[in-house]
Amino acid sequence: METRQNLRFVGHTTARKDGVAKVTGSAQFVHDMALPGMLYGKLVRSPHASARIVRIDTQAAEAMPGVRAVLVGGELNAKIGLYVRDKDILARDFVRYQGEAVAAVAATEEWIAEEACRAIRVEYEVLPPVLDPRQAMQPDAPLVHPDLEQYHCLKGVFCPQPKTNIAHQQKIRKGNVVDGFAQSDLVVETRFYSPPVQHVALETHTCIAQALPGDKVEIWSSAQSPFTLRNLFSLCFGLAQQDVRVHVPYVGGGFGGKAGIHLEPLAYALSRKAGGRPVKLLMSREEEFNTMPSRQGLFSHYKTGVSKEGKILALQIEYYWDAGAYADYGVNVGRAAAYSGAGPYQIPACKIDSFVVYTNKVFGTAYRGFGHLEVLWGIERNMDILACRLGLDPVEFRLRNVLMPGDTTITGEPITEHTGRPDFCLKQVAEAIHWQGWQSEEQRIRARSQGVARGKGVALLHKAPAMPPATSSAVLLKFNENGSVDLLTSIIDYGQGTYTAMAQAAAEELKIPLEKVNVPWDSDTAFTPYDWQTVASRGAFMGCRAVIAAAQDALRQIKETASQVLRCSVEDLVCENEMVSLAHRPDIRLAYADLVMGYVYPNGNAIGGPVIGFGRYIAQGLTHLDPETGQGLPALDWTYGAHGVEIEVDLATGDIKILQLATSLDVGQVLNPQALRGQVIGGVVQGIGSALYEELQFSPQGELLNPGLLDYKIPTARDLPESMQQSYVLTKQPDGPYGARGVAEHPMISVPSAIGNALYDALGLDFFQLPLNAERVCLALQQGGNEMPR
Amino acid sequence: MLNPLEQTIISLQLRVNGLPVQEDVPAQMTLLEFLRQRLRLTGAKEGCGSGECGACTVLLDGRPVNACLVLAAEANDAEIRTIEGEARDGRLTPLQQAFIEHGAIQCGFCTSGMVLSAQALLERNPHPGREEIVEAIAGHLCRCTGYVQIVEAIESVAGKGS
Amino acid sequence: MIAPLAYTKPRSLAEALELLQIAHSLPLAGGTDLLVELKKSNKRPALLVDLKGIPDLDELALTADRGLRIGANVTMNRLIESGELVSAFPALTDAAMTVGTDQIRNRATVGGNLCHASPSADLAPPLFVLDTQLVVASLQGERRIPISALWQGAKQNTLQPGELIVQIEVPWPGAAAKMAFLKKMRTAGHDLALVNMAGLLDPVQGRCRICIGGCACTPVLLPGTDTLYQESRDPDQLTARLLALAEATIVPIDDVRASARYRREIVAVFLQRLLKLLAVETKGWGRC
Ligand SMILES: Cc1cc2nc3c(=O)[nH]c(=O)nc-3n(C[C@H](O)[C@H](O)[C@H](O)COP(=O)(O)OP(=O)(O)OC[C@H]3O[C@@H](n4cnc5c(N)ncnc54)[C@H](O)[C@@H]3O)c2cc1C
Ligand code: FES
Ligand code: FES
Repeated sequence: METRQNLRFVGHTTARKDGVAKVTGSAQFVHDMALPGMLYGKLVRSPHASARIVRIDTQAAEAMPGVRAVLVGGELNAKIGLYVRDKDILARDFVRYQGEAVAAVAATEEWIAEEACRAIRVEYEVLPPVLDPRQAMQPDAPLVHPDLEQYHCLKGVFCPQPKTNIAHQQKIRKGNVVDGFAQSDLVVETRFYSPPVQHVALETHTCIAQALPGDKVEIWSSAQSPFTLRNLFSLCFGLAQQDVRVHVPYVGGGFGGKAGIHLEPLAYALSRKAGGRPVKLLMSREEEFNTMPSRQGLFSHYKTGVSKEGKILALQIEYYWDAGAYADYGVNVGRAAAYSGAGPYQIPACKIDSFVVYTNKVFGTAYRGFGHLEVLWGIERNMDILACRLGLDPVEFRLRNVLMPGDTTITGEPITEHTGRPDFCLKQVAEAIHWQGWQSEEQRIRARSQGVARGKGVALLHKAPAMPPATSSAVLLKFNENGSVDLLTSIIDYGQGTYTAMAQAAAEELKIPLEKVNVPWDSDTAFTPYDWQTVASRGAFMGCRAVIAAAQDALRQIKETASQVLRCSVEDLVCENEMVSLAHRPDIRLAYADLVMGYVYPNGNAIGGPVIGFGRYIAQGLTHLDPETGQGLPALDWTYGAHGVEIEVDLATGDIKILQLATSLDVGQVLNPQALRGQVIGGVVQGIGSALYEELQFSPQGELLNPGLLDYKIPTARDLPESMQQSYVLTKQPDGPYGARGVAEHPMISVPSAIGNALYDALGLDFFQLPLNAERVCLALQQGGNEMPR
Repeated sequence: MLNPLEQTIISLQLRVNGLPVQEDVPAQMTLLEFLRQRLRLTGAKEGCGSGECGACTVLLDGRPVNACLVLAAEANDAEIRTIEGEARDGRLTPLQQAFIEHGAIQCGFCTSGMVLSAQALLERNPHPGREEIVEAIAGHLCRCTGYVQIVEAIESVAGKGS
Repeated sequence: MIAPLAYTKPRSLAEALELLQIAHSLPLAGGTDLLVELKKSNKRPALLVDLKGIPDLDELALTADRGLRIGANVTMNRLIESGELVSAFPALTDAAMTVGTDQIRNRATVGGNLCHASPSADLAPPLFVLDTQLVVASLQGERRIPISALWQGAKQNTLQPGELIVQIEVPWPGAAAKMAFLKKMRTAGHDLALVNMAGLLDPVQGRCRICIGGCACTPVLLPGTDTLYQESRDPDQLTARLLALAEATIVPIDDVRASARYRREIVAVFLQRLLKLLAVETKGWGRC
């Protein structure tokens, strides 16, 4: 892509396209929808983490007036799953996590469905659960999926290991770590943990499905990926894709939790059983926590060899992902977080084994950052610990190892001057927080006597979209009579601002005012063109590339018609201000409005026809990873960044107050400054949640103890840093739209590490586990330190 | 007198966005269910159903309340304002306009409640400081924006006018 | 969702008391505890008696002897906004200010906060240290009970079916009394107290009261503190003795919000901070 100056819309703040609909309450979410004749579905959920279903008695429920369908797992013989088809629509024979749906009811009223669910009696034989992924890897561990080898899976990419709990093992091998450690002056081993957390999109999962005559299905879903949903749905029920129609209107937040397929098969099965009436499933907040997926927990083990000069020579890592009961996106998280699992550093010898392990917990899925927050928590804390052991400044130590043009990543991808500059980002945040090195022990002691301690910390970050090598986007630009366009896409804008960015690109390329680009918030697999999925921070990148191509296609059509009317060659025409004119005679021109439905001559003759621009983009040059070495080219684009933070710690209570949080990202090109700032601040605050508060807590029996917002706290307006700064590095991404890189996930993924590092600076204590809540900090101060997780 | 145990259906009279409404509702119906299901005013959302998230906020006699924790029956004789009543004749309020201009919106699920709480604050106190603004929206969870641009939007209106 | 029930809104106390004779009837005040319970638990009342139409429960006034009379239905925000009236009771408004969110405070009542009988109810500690009396009404008449007599256990009050709290009477503590309230939450947002604590210190009358919430199945008013205070007013000594007393009196548990150990830690920290605050003027919300 050439990068251009003098952009009129791209690079400027423009108001969101969905603003008016959202401030007036008129934006309709699936949450808000009701169809004529619609039934309400409700679930019966397992109270046990692991149990055999002995018997389900649905008689009383079926007899209740208003009940139209009662379903149990035994009636459904289809498994769902993204990469490993391991999940029943309703549990059959066994339940694998507390909260798993075992039966469902559809009734005319919501409360009747609830009453009917209460009337369903399920008898369980409780089995011992396995809750820790490392224990789950022991040979004598109970198997979460005894029939793993019978499941269908994406061959060549994921490899569930029969008769174990291992859903996937991703290997990365570069150089020889044994030699590396032998050459090292210092070898350090560390272990970290980050717990499972929830997305807490404000709109819980919901969908409406209707079974139509002739094996057709219509679905409305609060989903991130209508086409992937349709595809998985069709596979699950053996239906033809053209017979399944998926609508996605406004979506109340996703953050990865609404990618893939969730409630739709169950809603459909209920609808089918209820004679084809539409059935709505809407998760209560409690069900959202108990039944819908979360971010996986991660145990990470590092062994790092460094030279006296502060060069990393060898790095050996084991990642143990707590996948929970089903593989969902978890296996791909384990894969993606492995190929960037050593951080943005030049590592000559690297060996990573990333195990995604089944346990009896609510299952894991994609969550903003796709494993990177968890991995960076370990990596970036590890960097500080190494620097400390070497007696080096942590910023300096990072700069000695950071990826620079000429280096290669751990999967063998060469770093060029176009890849991006983590070093610049690091320097920017170090400067923003006035980093001057760690405080001395005397300074810490002095602070302690005053009851509060201050500390600063930095952390680097990197991430590339985690996606299969061949993923694609398509866009239609459909002209209206007045020369305006409808931009049709199946990328979902659930708040990120993607549609506004795409509209900016369309206006830019078509040379029309931004107001003349309309983006309907109404993706529909029957009408909007294919898009793989809205995940991985790829939406704006690939979407805008497709828009640019579509605009070129539309302009070509306009010019073709114009060239006949103006009797010139297409090459001599230029477009500007909704007009097409002769390059050398700007006064000879035609308005788009006179061309886009076909040009009509005074005598009534007409030429051309409606203009519809079509554009597409497919990720290019990416490869699968070698199953044994992990070598290959997985990254569409890398986005680098860094956070710098200053905190104040109440030494008596352990409370952390964030005084300042500076973020620098190499975004390539800013598409919309206000939208970018919104993404960054939103991500940072979500990162603060992961850093300080959030954790799914389980009882020893595997019961989720905090399934609601009463005891699962996320940041409120009172939990913000006193100040936040954003700065950007602009290393153009050669194939990115206008040089831009993906940026939606990145702002959150190193926030916990930076805060953990600042905590070390403040207290002289290393923390190994998230969240860094007041209790953990306080008790660590009491004990004079923290143990690494066993 | 009617047997109280038979008062399971309540004859409601109230004003919603300035208009009189008369409906018979089951006693256990919440104000949120009433607004969303009966009146099809779906601007107020249910994010938790238990008072924690603020997505269901409406103004009851001018004060923000969690409609998920109020029975419709309790709103008898009350004046209810929902987000649908804020813009008049298609004209946005200055606050709504400010939300758009300041990028205070992402997914939009929290927006209705945020706007209403902020509007109630501004009507009580046209020039609130940052502290008061933060306090007024602290009962609204937003998972998308990180709140800063919302606070800025409200501040921009608080700074203006008399 | 809430299961079907009946609802009625009496216009007088007498009518309400009559209605509460009906089996499985429950009083409804702001509903911020009750409706959550009705949605989540198996509690299934047949009839809700909405108390918000009863004028007696709405009173908020100073008594002749400068005490405060709070109708059970007075909301947190009404308390906070009543300025002058409650200015002599800063710990009370500080505590009210930490209850939930603005929306919650517009509904949550003082009576409901006490009757729900949560061990961490935020109004309990200040009302305990202020020697609050509750006016309880039933068809049999009125009785007065000290606030400490309301708690039977966690979320269990001692009211008989058919009884209502009508008023909360807070005696004026005297011009020399100082008071303060502290609350430990998990975030700076809204949260139930992991620990809350109120203190009252009156050097003139030699009174010292400390009440700790969230550390037993009821709020705990430390016993014998007046005597301790009268025996020694040396701040260090008093602090040490109160710390030991608190340590021996509270019985916190491990739960999803905090460990018992951390609660003990916070009690010790808060006690020291509280005594420092009481030694100087108290200002601010007491949020911590
Ligand atoms: C999101 C949220 C946050 C909260 N945060 C806090 C907090 O920070 N601190 C805190 O202390 N509490 C908190 N609460 C709990 C609750 O808001 C308070 O306890 C509130 O004061 C209860 O009052 P109410 O009027 O809503 O009571 P209701 O729910 O109406 O009643 C509570 C109970 O008391 C009974 N009752 C009510 N009035 C009387 C009466 N006059 N006589 C006899 N019985 C009566 C009812 O039958 C019911 O059993 C929170 C609740 C929510 C939903
Ligand atoms: S839905 Fe009412 S507060 Fe969350
Ligand atoms: S904009 Fe999505 S929750 Fe606030």
